[in-house]
Amino acid sequence: MPQKKIGVFVCHCGINIASVVQIEELVKRLQESSGVYYATDYKYMCSEPGQASIRDAIKEKELDGIVVACCSPSLHELTFRRTSSSVDLNPYLCEIANIREHCSWVHSDSTLATEKAQEIIETIVEKVRLDEALDPIKVPVNKRAMVIGGGISGIQSALDIADSGYPVILVEREAAIGGHMAELSDTFLTLEKSSELLSAKQREVSVHSNIQLLTYSEVEDLDGYVGNFKATIKKKAKMVDWDKCDGCGKCIAVCPVKVPFDQEHPLGKENAIYLPLLEAGPKRVVIDKGICQHFSGECSECQTACPKSAIHFDEQDETLEEEIGAVVVATGYSMYPKDRIGEYGVDGCEDVIDGLQFERMLAAWERGEGPLRRPSDGKTPRDVVFVQCSGSRDPEHAMPYCSRICCMYTVKEAMVYRKAVPDGQAYVFYIDIRTGGKGCEEFTQGGIADNRLIYMRGKVSKLYREGDKVVVWGVDTLMGKKVEIAADLVVLATATVPSPGAKELAQRLKVSADDYGFFQEVHPKLRPVESPTAGIFLSGAARAPMDIPESIMHASGAASKVLALFSQDDISHEPIVAFVDEDYCSGCGVCVETCPYGARELQGRKRVAKVIEVLCQGCGACIAACPNGACQQRNFQAEQCLYMLDAAL
Amino acid sequence: MKVSYYPGCTLKDKTTNLDDSTKAAAEALDIDMVELPEWTCCGATHPLTEEKIINLVPQIRILSNVRTEGNDSVTTTCAFCYNTLKRANKAVIDDPIKRQRMNAFLKDDKRIPEYDKETVYDFKEYNGETKVVHFLEILRDTIGFETLSNRVTKKLEGLKVAPYYGCQLLRPPEEVDLDDPENPSILEDFLRSLGCEVVNFPFKSECCGSYLSLSAPDAATRASHTILRSALKNGAEAVTLSCPLCYYNMDKRQDNILKLYADFSTVPVFFFTQLLALALGVDESVMGWNKHHIDPTPLLKEKGFLS
Amino acid sequence: MRAVISTRQVRSEFVARVQDLSGQDLLGCYQCGKCSAGCPMTEEMDIIPSQVIRLSQLGQEEDVLNCKTIWLCATCYQCGTRCPKGIDFSKIAEALRYLGMGKEKEVCGPNHIPTEIIAEAPQQALVSTFRKQGL
Ligand SMILES: Cc1cc2nc3c(=O)[nH]c(=O)nc-3n(C[C@H](O)[C@H](O)[C@H](O)COP(=O)(O)OP(=O)(O)OC[C@H]3O[C@@H](n4cnc5c(N)ncnc54)[C@H](O)[C@@H]3O)c2cc1C
Ligand code: SF4
Ligand code: SF4
Ligand code: SF4
Ligand code: SF4
Repeated sequence: MPQKKIGVFVCHCGINIASVVQIEELVKRLQESSGVYYATDYKYMCSEPGQASIRDAIKEKELDGIVVACCSPSLHELTFRRTSSSVDLNPYLCEIANIREHCSWVHSDSTLATEKAQEIIETIVEKVRLDEALDPIKVPVNKRAMVIGGGISGIQSALDIADSGYPVILVEREAAIGGHMAELSDTFLTLEKSSELLSAKQREVSVHSNIQLLTYSEVEDLDGYVGNFKATIKKKAKMVDWDKCDGCGKCIAVCPVKVPFDQEHPLGKENAIYLPLLEAGPKRVVIDKGICQHFSGECSECQTACPKSAIHFDEQDETLEEEIGAVVVATGYSMYPKDRIGEYGVDGCEDVIDGLQFERMLAAWERGEGPLRRPSDGKTPRDVVFVQCSGSRDPEHAMPYCSRICCMYTVKEAMVYRKAVPDGQAYVFYIDIRTGGKGCEEFTQGGIADNRLIYMRGKVSKLYREGDKVVVWGVDTLMGKKVEIAADLVVLATATVPSPGAKELAQRLKVSADDYGFFQEVHPKLRPVESPTAGIFLSGAARAPMDIPESIMHASGAASKVLALFSQDDISHEPIVAFVDEDYCSGCGVCVETCPYGARELQGRKRVAKVIEVLCQGCGACIAACPNGACQQRNFQAEQCLYMLDAAL
Repeated sequence: MKVSYYPGCTLKDKTTNLDDSTKAAAEALDIDMVELPEWTCCGATHPLTEEKIINLVPQIRILSNVRTEGNDSVTTTCAFCYNTLKRANKAVIDDPIKRQRMNAFLKDDKRIPEYDKETVYDFKEYNGETKVVHFLEILRDTIGFETLSNRVTKKLEGLKVAPYYGCQLLRPPEEVDLDDPENPSILEDFLRSLGCEVVNFPFKSECCGSYLSLSAPDAATRASHTILRSALKNGAEAVTLSCPLCYYNMDKRQDNILKLYADFSTVPVFFFTQLLALALGVDESVMGWNKHHIDPTPLLKEKGFLS
Repeated sequence: MRAVISTRQVRSEFVARVQDLSGQDLLGCYQCGKCSAGCPMTEEMDIIPSQVIRLSQLGQEEDVLNCKTIWLCATCYQCGTRCPKGIDFSKIAEALRYLGMGKEKEVCGPNHIPTEIIAEAPQQALVSTFRKQGL
C-alpha cells in the first residue's frame, strides 16, 4: 500500500490551546514528522474560513486522510467529518487529536505541553494511516407499528399513525379498548361525558382500515431492533364465539362469580363472564379464565343458559408473531390500593371508596340508572368527604410523588356530585391545590364558588365507622383546629400508580422503568416520549400520571416520532462495528455471551460467530473477550492500535 | 423455654395482680420464667432527646444483666417497660456511638472510683444481644395461639371482650415492631384462642391520656371515656389490656368519667394475663379481683367462669 | 398578631437546639397537619402540634415555649407513626419541654400532685410525669 498523504490541521482555539502549546514550534515539528505530508494551523479551525482551509488543502494537496488537532471529538468530530465528505474524502479518514481537554487545559508548562500535543497528534496520525474508508450501515425500516395499550393515549397514537397511511397493530389486554376513560363520568374542563368523547374514538379505531385491533391480547416477547422488531403476541381465549353471541346477557345473569365493587375492574366487569364496555362495537361477552369457576371447579351455568350455544370452554389461547418497525407503549395507570392505607381502611367499610369507584357511581347516575347511591345500604350520600393525596406525597408509607390528576378530578367529582345530589354537601381535604394546567385554576375556583364546596387545608388522619356514618378525623391548618366530620361517603383520591405488570412488560421490551414502574424516558426534558431503546416510544399515563389532554399530546408526540422513523426508507448505523476473521474463529461463543447488546450470534452450519452489525454499538467487549483474536473492530484493529501505542510511548 | 422476667415497678406495688397472674400463667404453660435479680426501674417513658443518653443506661443495664444470668431474652408485660427496653436496645444496636458510650458507662458501673482502680468484676461488652419480647409474643411466636387454644381448660366462651392496645405496644412501629400499627391482630388472636368473642372497635390503639393523668387529669378522663364508650357501643362486656397505666386510666378513672358523663355505664377492665390465667384454670388467688376498681366478678359469675 | 421573620429567627440558636435535641429536621415538615388530625390531645391544646412545628421552623421561641401544647403531648407517637415525611413530633415536643424546663417552666412536679393521687397512681405515671414535666 502506498504511503497515505496525511494532512494535520492545528487549531489555536483562540488562546485556549495557543496560550499553552507553542503552535508555531508544533507545526514545524509536524512538518518534519515522517508520517505527515502537510501541516498547518489556524486560529479557529471550526470557523468557516478554517474549514475552507481544510477543504482547499484536501483538494490541492490531494490528501488521503486528515487529523484535526483541536478540542474533544464530542464537540466537532462530526463538523470536520462533514468538511471532509464535502470534498469527497471519506469521513472515516478524518480523525480528531484532542489537544485541548487532554493537553492545554490541564497543563501549564509550555515546553512539555507542546511535546505532549505532538505525541497526541502523531498517535492519531498512525490511526489515520491504517483507517479504512467506511460507509454507514443501512437497515430497511418495516413501516408498520405496534401500539401496546388501548386507553385514550394508545388509541390516539394508533389513529395518528394509521391516518398517515401506515398499518398499526393495537394490542389491548382487556376485552375492549378505552382504558380508564371508559369508567369516567363527566370530564374536566368541559364536563362532557367521557363515554361520548371516547365512543367517537373507539368507532374510528374499529372502522380504520389501517388498524388491526387485537383485544384480549398481550405482548409476550419482543426481539429485534429499531425498524425491524418481531413481537410475540398472545391472544387469550375469550371462550365465546363472537359470531354467534348477540350480547343478550342471559349468561351473565347466571354466573356465580361476583367481582367485588371496590376491586379495580375496568370495562364493567362484574362477573366472570361479562360484557366489555365497548360503546362503539357490537355487544359481545367474554369469560375471564382467571376467575371463572369452570376452570377451578365444576360450573358450566352460562353454557347451559346460552340460547345460541356460543360458549366454548375448550377454546385455546393463540400465539401470533408480528413484524413491526416501531412500538408505542401506552399501558396507562392504576390506583394505589386503598386498603394499604391502614388508617383509612375502616374494616372493609364499603362507604370508603376511591376516585374511580366514585366515577363509576356518577356515570351510572348519568346513564339514568337511578339516584346516586352509596355502596353499603343504597342511601343517597348527603355529606361527602374527599381526601386528596391519599398515598401520594407520602415518602414514608406510600408514593413520594404528586399524582397530578387528583386535584382536578376531585373538584370535578364534587361538582358532578352536587348535580346528582343538589342538597348534598361536599368537603375536600387538601394539602395544596395543584391545578396548573391551562384553564384548570379557573375551573377549580369557579367550581368551588358555584357549588359551595368546602375546602379544608390539611390531611386526614383517621376514618372510622360510627352508626351508619363514617367519621373523618382531619385538620384545618388554616383555622388551626382538628376537624371531625360525620360523612355518608368518603372518596379517597388514591395515588396514581403504573398499571399492573408494567415492570415485567418493560423487561420483555428491554426498556427501563423507574422504581415505581413508570416507563422511563431518555431525557425528562428534551426527549420525553422516547424510551432509551431506539424505536420504542412512550405515550400517556404509562410514563407518568397525566390527564386526558396531556395523554393525547404525548400520544401524538409518540406518533410523530414513529412517523419520523417511517419517513425514511432505511436508517443508517455507525460503521465502526466489530467483525470476525472467520479463519481464526473457533466458534466457542464467548463473544455471544459477552455482547451486552445481543449483536453476536453463531452461524448455524459454519459454526463461526457473526456480528449483527445494526445492533453492534462498537463497545469492544467481544474483542477483548475473544480468546482467538478473531474479533476485530473497524478502524480500531489490533495492528492499528499497536502502531498508535508505539507513537504514544 | 427459659426466659428472664422483668416485672417493672408498678407490678410490684399497684398492680400485683398483673405480676401474679403473669407468673401463674407462665407456670401453667411450662414457661421457665425467672425474675431478674436486683432489677431497677427502666425509666418508664422512653427518652426522646438525642443528647441525654444517660437516660438509656438503666434499660441497657437491665438487658446486659439478662445475659449475666445466662439468658438470651427477657420478657415483660408492662407496655411502657417493653417500649423503652426494646427501643433502647435498638439504639445500642443501630448507633455505634451510643453503644460505645453505654459500654464505657457500664464498665464503670459497679466500681467505686475511690477504692477500685480497676474494674473488679468480669465485664463483657454489651452490643444489644438480649432479645426483648412481650409476653404476648411468647404466646404468639413460641407457644402459638393454636397450641394455646388446646391448652385452655376453661374456654371463656360468650365473653365479649374489646382488645385495647394503647400507644406503647405498637408505636413507633419501626422500633417496637410487635404488630401492624393500624390493624394489629395479636390481642384479637389471643382472645380468640381463649374462646372469647372479640369486639372490634375503632379506638383500640388511641391513647388513654397516659401519664397526663397526673398533670391533666381531665384530659385523661376524656380520652379514656372516648375509648370505653366506643368499646361499649360496639358491644363490649369487658376490656382487656397489658399496660398498668392504661389500666389505671380506664379502671380507676371510671369514677371521674361518671362525674363528667352521666350516661356512661361502667365496664370491667382485665389484664390479658388475668383472662389467660382464668382460661388455664389457675388458682384464683392470683387474680387479685379485689384490686379492681370496677369489680369484674359479677360479670365472670354471670358467664359461669367463677362460682 | 405579627411576626418579624429574618435570618435572626430562622437560623437562630434556638432552631438549631431544637433540631439537635430532637434529631428531627424541622423544615422536613411540609405542614400537612396529619399529626394534628390524629392527635388525641388536641381538645386540651391551645395550638395544634403542626403549629408548634411551624413556630419552631420560623424560630418563634417565645410563642412556642409559652404554649400549653408541648406539655399536653401524651407521647403516644400517633403523630410520628402517620407523618408522611417521617417527622416525629413527640421528639420535637420533648426537645421543647427540655428547653422550657431549662427556663424553669415546671408544669408538674411532686408538689403539684395531691397526696391521695400519689398514693394510688402507678409508679410509671409518676416517673414519666416527673421526667417529662418537671422536677
Ligand atoms: C378518578 C379519576 C378521574 C379522572 N377524571 C379525568 C377527567 O375528568 N379529565 C381528564 O382529562 N382526565 C381524568 N382522569 C385521568 C384519565 O383517566 C387519564 O388521563 C387517562 O385515562 C390516561 O389514558 P391512558 O391511555 O394513558 O391510560 P389508561 O386509561 O390507563 O389506558 C391504558 C390501557 O392499556 C391497557 N394495558 C395496560 N397494560 C397492558 C398490557 N401489558 N398489554 C396490553 N394492554 C395493556 C389497559 O387495559 C388500558 O386499556 C381521571 C382519572 C381518575 C383516576
Ligand atoms: S348467553 Fe350466549 S348469546 Fe347471550 S350474551 Fe351470553 S354468550 Fe352471548
Ligand atoms: S394532584 Fe393534588 S391531590 Fe393529587 S397528589 Fe398532587 S397535590 Fe395531592
Ligand atoms: S404530619 Fe408530619 S409533615 Fe405533616 S404537619 Fe405533622 S410533622 Fe409536618
Ligand atoms: S405523641 Fe403527642 S402530639 Fe403526637 S399524637 Fe400523641 S399526644 Fe399528640
